[in-house]
Amino acid sequence: MPQIMDKETTHMEKAQQENAASPLVAVEAPVLEVSQLQIFTRQEKQQRPLVHGVSFVIPRGETLALVGESGSGKSVTASAVLGLMSGSLGISNGEIRFRGDNVLDWPNKKRRGLRGREIGFIFQNYQESFTPFITVGKQMNETLRSHEKLTRRQAKVHALEWLEQVGLPAERVYSSYPFQLSGGQLQRAAIAGAMMLQPSLLIADEPTTALDVLSGEKVLDVLASLQKRTGCAVLLISHDLRHVVKRASTIAVMKDGHIVELDTAEHILYHCHHEYTQQLLNARPYIT
Amino acid sequence: MNGKLTAELSLPLRRSHAGRQMLHNRAMMLGMSLLGIIVLLALFGPIIVPNDPLTVQMGDRLLSPSWQYPLGTDHLGRCIFTRLVIGAQLTLGISAIVIVTVIVLGVPLGLISGYIGGRFDSIIMRLVDGMGALPEFIFAIAFAGFLGPSLPNLIFAIVLVKWIGYARVVRSVALSEREKEYVLAAKVAGCSTWTILRRHLLPQMISPVVVLAALDIGKIIMIISMLSYLGLGAQPPTPEWGAMLNDGRPYFQSAPQLMIYPGLAIMAIVIACNLLGEGLREALDVRSR
Amino acid sequence: MLQLIKKRLIQLVFVLFILSLVIFILMKLAPGDPVLTLLHADEMSITQADEAALREELGFDQPVLVQYGKWMLGLIRLDLGTSYLKGRPVLDELLDKLPATIQLTASGLAVMVAIALPLGLIASRYPNRWPDHVSRILALVGASIPSFWMGLLLIYLFSLKLGWLPTSGKGSFAHMILPSITLGFAMAAVYARLLRSGLLDSLSQDYIKAARARGLAERRILMGHALRAALLPVITVFGVSFGNLLAGSVVIETLFAWPGLGSLALEAIFERDYPIIQGYVLATGLFVVVVNLLVDLSYSLLDPRIRLGKGASS
Repeated sequence: MPQIMDKETTHMEKAQQENAASPLVAVEAPVLEVSQLQIFTRQEKQQRPLVHGVSFVIPRGETLALVGESGSGKSVTASAVLGLMSGSLGISNGEIRFRGDNVLDWPNKKRRGLRGREIGFIFQNYQESFTPFITVGKQMNETLRSHEKLTRRQAKVHALEWLEQVGLPAERVYSSYPFQLSGGQLQRAAIAGAMMLQPSLLIADEPTTALDVLSGEKVLDVLASLQKRTGCAVLLISHDLRHVVKRASTIAVMKDGHIVELDTAEHILYHCHHEYTQQLLNARPYIT
Repeated sequence: MNGKLTAELSLPLRRSHAGRQMLHNRAMMLGMSLLGIIVLLALFGPIIVPNDPLTVQMGDRLLSPSWQYPLGTDHLGRCIFTRLVIGAQLTLGISAIVIVTVIVLGVPLGLISGYIGGRFDSIIMRLVDGMGALPEFIFAIAFAGFLGPSLPNLIFAIVLVKWIGYARVVRSVALSEREKEYVLAAKVAGCSTWTILRRHLLPQMISPVVVLAALDIGKIIMIISMLSYLGLGAQPPTPEWGAMLNDGRPYFQSAPQLMIYPGLAIMAIVIACNLLGEGLREALDVRSR
Repeated sequence: MLQLIKKRLIQLVFVLFILSLVIFILMKLAPGDPVLTLLHADEMSITQADEAALREELGFDQPVLVQYGKWMLGLIRLDLGTSYLKGRPVLDELLDKLPATIQLTASGLAVMVAIALPLGLIASRYPNRWPDHVSRILALVGASIPSFWMGLLLIYLFSLKLGWLPTSGKGSFAHMILPSITLGFAMAAVYARLLRSGLLDSLSQDYIKAARARGLAERRILMGHALRAALLPVITVFGVSFGNLLAGSVVIETLFAWPGLGSLALEAIFERDYPIIQGYVLATGLFVVVVNLLVDLSYSLLDPRIRLGKGASS
């Protein structure tokens, strides 16, 4: 898989070239930089704002957790980064910079090339992260071949490798249909699918909510180890501070479309300012 | 005052939904008025038609439309308009008879089969599965083939197949309703099976049966005219639309009116039934099966 | 899966049993004495002895149940009797005409797919916009237009007025155009609508969003993922309405003088050629049930949940 293995170096080269071209940019641009993002929903020809000017930055290799109750706008923000918002939603203002480029200016086709390739996504509803009537392996194969020039066999070898990396019986999972796997297995297969192209950013939308506690922890462990290995940035979306404090370096607390508090996990845990964050913390049954 | 205020407040929110309903209602209204016109024509047909549908006047063959013959005449000098109107009477009358018969047969059988179950249910289901697999036209061909082509044989063949759809729908509703609390409550309250069937379950069947019937009328009209066109249903000189098309086929090139109007009549009535049926399905919120 | 096939095979046997019963009863009810018909067909002077001999030969002197049993045995051995009119075995007659009917049905289906697929795809792409409205109106017209009338209009326009295509008969490719279009159009409208609603349904599923998140091309998502799910209802309806397709083919064979099974059956009805009618009805019933069996099999091909025994289908 030379194309994939070499990716790291090509990135570096690209970054160096860019640096050479514009010496003002001293350091590598952060993987994701969202600034003043405003999202609205169209209803009866009226625009109702959903997300009011949200800003955050995720550097390479870091994890930012976006925490809030349902309806706070965290999932919508994630969809906006991915470029897959439902038709009734629109972006009225702001920028989403991916490695320095504002992707909102990109044409659809270019953004599609980003999805799966540079931005991996893991869904809460693991049942639906694969099409139910096609085997997991076929779908991984399809994804690989959509982004890289690979033969079927090469893609299969690569997919099997990644299924092993997430601790699954690779051959069996590869030839299984989604409904033949357990929730935890399926979610780990989804992680393998999202990480196998070594994206620079992984968005995980409540990846453990639908799982039992043990499977959930296992999934997060796998995620953490893969992140360490590939050095990708992670945007972790959750309604539960308990999971997040342990896993994220930075935490953004969202409420009603605003980020009410954004700080390091440590600060949030011991010196949070906003009363809503306080409420969320108090809702935790225990502190580890 | 208060009620009016809330009504006004909720208005803008509902608009798009109401708009869609209007559209469907408009289609349904169109179907209903179209069907209404045809029914009126059929009812008052004998009064308004200018001529006799069967009188042959060889002197007036293949005439163009005129005051005396609004749509012209056919190859035997008969008034096409008159024959169409009388044909409407025939078509609507037959489909009404068929629909009523299949409802009277299918609904009670499905109701009893679904509610009481047991051996009766399994016999009925076997029959439904067996007969339901076969299209009515096979029976129509068999009946016409062995007993001779005629309208009554055709009707019999259609009824033989059509009751199944009603029995099936009613049975599945009865199956799901009989476990519901209100039925159990009625049972506990000491209602007899007959009362429960009649007072509690039967009303549940009205919407699906009405929708099914509205859609079926169109299909029945279509199959009657189709088989009559083939010569397996109404026989000449009966002014049935399909038979009229068959009858006048050799003259199409010189007199296209023989072909245009009966076909348009069939299409109009079937469109009306389909619009009405789809509209009713939407309005009564019946899932298609 | 095997369970399903078993159930279908039992149904097949049962359906054919019912059909045979209906036919047998109808044969007994049929007016006119088949023995006399047969004898008259030979145009010989008939003696009482001839008649009795033939009655015995045909087994008409035996009790009804025995007759039915013998007749059934014959059917099982594919002995459908001999055509009164042509004096040939019914099976041979049917097999002779079968290819023409299959050809017509197949080309009608091809026309149907060629119209329905793009129409359904476009309508689902622009729901409630003008392409969708056009397809809705087309569907209403297609479902409401009598196929024989549409065939007549097409003949009038393309054969009589424009002189582009032959009016009837079988032979060149040109002969196939009008019959195929007539047969395919009415079905196409209905299937286009089914496809549209199926696609709208499957495109709104979460797994489609997941496929998009993986960066698959929209075309690929549509054809490889959404369409496959949308085909299930289409195939169900196809199985249910396959009988209508056969009915349509009778009309169209008659209309265009296409020498297939339908023309054969219709001719037999008017000539009171009972063995042919019986053979046609049985064969058609068999087709319908077999197609339904194939439909069930194709379900499991499209949806592995059925094949691998996890009954739920979404």
